[in-house]
Amino acid sequence: MKDWSRLKLGIVVALVAAAATLVAVAGGAAGVVLTGTEQFCTSACHSMSIPAAEFKGTIHDTNRTGVRATCADCHIPHHSVVAMLMTKTQAGIKDVYGEITGVIDTKEKYEKQRYQMAVSVWAVMKQTDSRECRHCHTAAKMDPEKQSEGARKKHEALKTGGATCIDCHFGIAHSEPDGPGPQELKIAK
Amino acid sequence: MRTASKFVLASVLAIGVPSGVVLAADDAAASAELKKSGCMTCHSVSAKKDGPSFKAVAEKYKGAADGADKIRANITTSKEHNHHLKTKDDAQVKNVVDYILSR
Repeated sequence: MKDWSRLKLGIVVALVAAAATLVAVAGGAAGVVLTGTEQFCTSACHSMSIPAAEFKGTIHDTNRTGVRATCADCHIPHHSVVAMLMTKTQAGIKDVYGEITGVIDTKEKYEKQRYQMAVSVWAVMKQTDSRECRHCHTAAKMDPEKQSEGARKKHEALKTGGATCIDCHFGIAHSEPDGPGPQELKIAK
Repeated sequence: MRTASKFVLASVLAIGVPSGVVLAADDAAASAELKKSGCMTCHSVSAKKDGPSFKAVAEKYKGAADGADKIRANITTSKEHNHHLKTKDDAQVKNVVDYILSR
């Protein structure tokens, strides 16, 4: 009789643990998804209202087809779950700390930091051959007949590795800072 | 402050401030025309893009007597630089040329 009670207890504990794990994993997954939405990024931190306002009306915000790319699409890796989680964690901690200490909490402070912020993102894009751009834009699937002659010619450089997306397509989603651009950055690969 | 100095200060402000505002408005008009004409696809104000930055162009033609003419030709009639401003209005073209040269 004592064995049955212990067995029953063991089963109950196992079921409760399984349920708790399920809830924790589901909750964690929901948290990861929710913290990757445009709504979250632009409302959780007040300083993000500045780039959110700049983003409005740009090609990734509104265009003919209504297909959009928002904050996480460009700033969070998609090629690996580990990379995605690590970036979200590192950036998240850094950004929360920055928000609490008010690093860019006024327009003036934001403008002062603009160039440095742009360079830090450009550096990542150059090191990864504009990986986040290429998550949506596949060069091999670009229809040459739908591009202008100039664009067609320029995109030839993508095949040889002579250029990466960000070399020309910068200042698209956010206002361009004053200073040298991605082509002029010396990035250690 | 003496009356005369006050008068001078007031005159300077009365002329200087509106002039500053007008000049700033011209920058905005030039930026808008450049954007409308598709120039910003290949050019940035201070960064190298497909073409040189306006800063680099201004640097190149600084002090050159025919600098403004060369830029003007490039953005209106040049076959080599076959990308031209949408506007055909002389004043607006001059405004854009001045804008580029002053970066």
